[in-house]
Amino acid sequence: MPNFSPSDPIIMLRDATFTYAGASRPALRAVTLAVPAGQICAIIGKAGAGKSTLCALCAGFVPHFFRGRLSGDVIVDGVSIADHPIAELVRHVALVGSNAFSQISGARFTVYDEVGFGLENLGVPRLEMIERVEWALRALGIEQLRDRSPYALSGGQQQRMVIAAALAMRPPVLVLDEPTMQLDPPAMMELSAVLRSLAQQGITILVAEHRLEWVADVADRVVALDQGTIIADGAPVDVLTDPRLCEVDIGWPRPTRIAARARTEGRWPPERPLPITLADLVEGLCDNTVDERHIAHEDGAADSPVIRPTNNTAGVRNPTMPVRTTEANPIVVLDKVGFTYPNGVEALHDVSLTVRRGERIALVGRNGAGKSTLMRHLNGLLRPSHGRVLVGGVDTRTTTVARCARHVGIVFQDVRNQLFARTVREEIRFGPRNLGFAPDRIDALTEAAIDALELWDVIDEHPYDLPPARRRLVAIAAVLAMDTPLLALDEPTAGLDNAAIALLARLIADLAQRQRSVLIVSHDLDFCYETLDRVILLRDGRVALDTHFARLDYTEAAALRADVGLPIELRLRYVNV
Amino acid sequence: MHRTGLFIDRAGFLQRRNPLTKGTGVVLLVGATFLLPAPLTGIALLIGTLLPLAFASAVGWRFLEVLLKTLLPVLISLVLVQGLFFPSPDPTTVAVGPLLFRRAGLEFALNTGSRLLIVVGAPLLLFQTTHPGVLVQALTQSGMPRSVGYILLVALQLIPAIIERAVGVAEAQRARGLETEGSMLQRIRGVVPLVSPLIVGALIEAEERAIAIESRAFNAPGPKTWIRDIPDPPVERISRMVLLGMLGTLVVWRVVAAVLG
Repeated sequence: MPNFSPSDPIIMLRDATFTYAGASRPALRAVTLAVPAGQICAIIGKAGAGKSTLCALCAGFVPHFFRGRLSGDVIVDGVSIADHPIAELVRHVALVGSNAFSQISGARFTVYDEVGFGLENLGVPRLEMIERVEWALRALGIEQLRDRSPYALSGGQQQRMVIAAALAMRPPVLVLDEPTMQLDPPAMMELSAVLRSLAQQGITILVAEHRLEWVADVADRVVALDQGTIIADGAPVDVLTDPRLCEVDIGWPRPTRIAARARTEGRWPPERPLPITLADLVEGLCDNTVDERHIAHEDGAADSPVIRPTNNTAGVRNPTMPVRTTEANPIVVLDKVGFTYPNGVEALHDVSLTVRRGERIALVGRNGAGKSTLMRHLNGLLRPSHGRVLVGGVDTRTTTVARCARHVGIVFQDVRNQLFARTVREEIRFGPRNLGFAPDRIDALTEAAIDALELWDVIDEHPYDLPPARRRLVAIAAVLAMDTPLLALDEPTAGLDNAAIALLARLIADLAQRQRSVLIVSHDLDFCYETLDRVILLRDGRVALDTHFARLDYTEAAALRADVGLPIELRLRYVNV
Repeated sequence: MHRTGLFIDRAGFLQRRNPLTKGTGVVLLVGATFLLPAPLTGIALLIGTLLPLAFASAVGWRFLEVLLKTLLPVLISLVLVQGLFFPSPDPTTVAVGPLLFRRAGLEFALNTGSRLLIVVGAPLLLFQTTHPGVLVQALTQSGMPRSVGYILLVALQLIPAIIERAVGVAEAQRARGLETEGSMLQRIRGVVPLVSPLIVGALIEAEERAIAIESRAFNAPGPKTWIRDIPDPPVERISRMVLLGMLGTLVVWRVVAAVLG
């Protein structure tokens, strides 16, 4: 039995090693970790590093739900995880995963009842239950959603609801596994504020996360995992600038990378520590000219400044390829397209745009702006109510989706809808085979896609046996192999670690070199800015902006910022002076 | 707005009643249609009981619409099949245009149809005036296993979600060149890519949902409580006793009548 003293931290792991049943090597190795009450402790690491296992272990789902061999001590809120069932542990620790949808109980019809469901199961008296539910709804800022169906909420709202449901049970420890995976930038900032508020109330938060910029913003402490072992543990500013993170492909936050590059160019003093936040980066780069209030505003906090360009060009935008587009024979033409759903919702109004060969396009906009609807017009899945869409020169109303698929390949955000084959190789061959390619060509395209997405080590595995991040790469490879002139990707970086994101960036650059176009729908503005050229902003179903990142003027940058924020590098360029 | 089964969110007479009382009423009505002579009972109960209750509960027209849409095809086929082909020694027929119906078959169709009106109509009115969550809570509080209640509610809520996922799967595979329109062979080829992601996705979600309800202490020992109170005043309990008494009386009457010949 463990023998910790009463003053022990609220989460205590001592030499914890866990091996999943059937696995040959441990998912966690000799992890020792002590987290005091009220701390926000972030766990970072590559996909498969053991972050989710650590979360599940701290909540008791390892080893009670996910079976395997556990050694060492794990004590949470004074209770030994191994010795108590989950039904008892839920009073001490709550686990919230990345997919909010599948964490909805399904047993309650309103947000209010859903948040109270756990309390009903614990037998909490009604009056206390009502008081706790009201508190949790307020804490997460979702009081106004109380009578809505849990299934009718957006991804961000569902995420807040499942956190509220966990909090209502008043656990002293909250464990969050990749909570930002489905959130857009404003929702991520809201979540940071909520977590900081909870920590101030004494709740201890353990959060596993890929997005290092968000970690830098929210965490009091960062623990880096690699192959199940802690390789760094300490204050965010120390861990997130630790060179070992780059050695194991975790990488650094963007502000750190920008400063590191500036240092090699002599614009960041060697003696000055590398920053982890945008504010510190700006301070270091141009501390004589920066008005930090405007940085704060760009994060959605303050009042309305006018942005002006500075001479500060510290960016890391990769100017690998000039925009070389082919004017003749556009891949897709949208001509005054309007679309109204059967329920009367007008999703697109008078949208006109052309996608040419070799273009790298970011399609951005707030949730509900019409991005998904527009993407479904690119291959005829939706046909316009007004205007016309030409794919490969053919009106989508006169052809089939399967024929449009020769010109436009689309990878949707939820790759579960796509993957079905028994092996990765078969999955990748499916698309080119549907298109009727010759066997030799199918083989060549399959091998090229496996090469591009670095999947050789898993070609004979079942796609669902892979971690979610690699599963997404398989889905991309499967559409890439169709050799379409245009590849459209919906939120391709969701859940990917830095190494996979870098791989994706290389792929996009390579495709553009070969005159193949890429269109990306994403909330990850930094990725878009670093890898793409053209940006199309949708607002209320209309094209509010269609230009190139390199040609953005002040007004256009302001429009982009107002709707979806600005990439870090543009924020640096357009800081008010 | 997310669908919640047949429930119509209105304020009215039946919406204020306890679900158990309404359920007891359904049992009485369905029992009465079989214990009392058809077809009069079924039609009388529809006109004299269900319709007034439906209109008093502000769901009258919707009740009629759903009832007719559900039963009209059944009733028509009942009349045609039984009227034309009912095996009976009675040779009496009724001519309707060129068709010659057997009288015994028409009587059978009328009796069965009138009972169907109540067998379908009474539960329909219950579901239209009772939120499924409230109904399951009432049943659970009166002894139904919680796991059964959970399964009922999850099934009700997940059906729309599964349909949504099926649309997503079809979109993803058509975007990969899968021809879902066209010849039978092409459609058969499309079955595996369309069905597999749906099944695998459901299995994965089932595991995640199991974690979700474990996280919400679904299996925690001890007594349970409810955030919503379902009023059950003495008048409701007395009503249930009266309804059950009426049903018992009918059963006894029917048994005695059968014994006495």
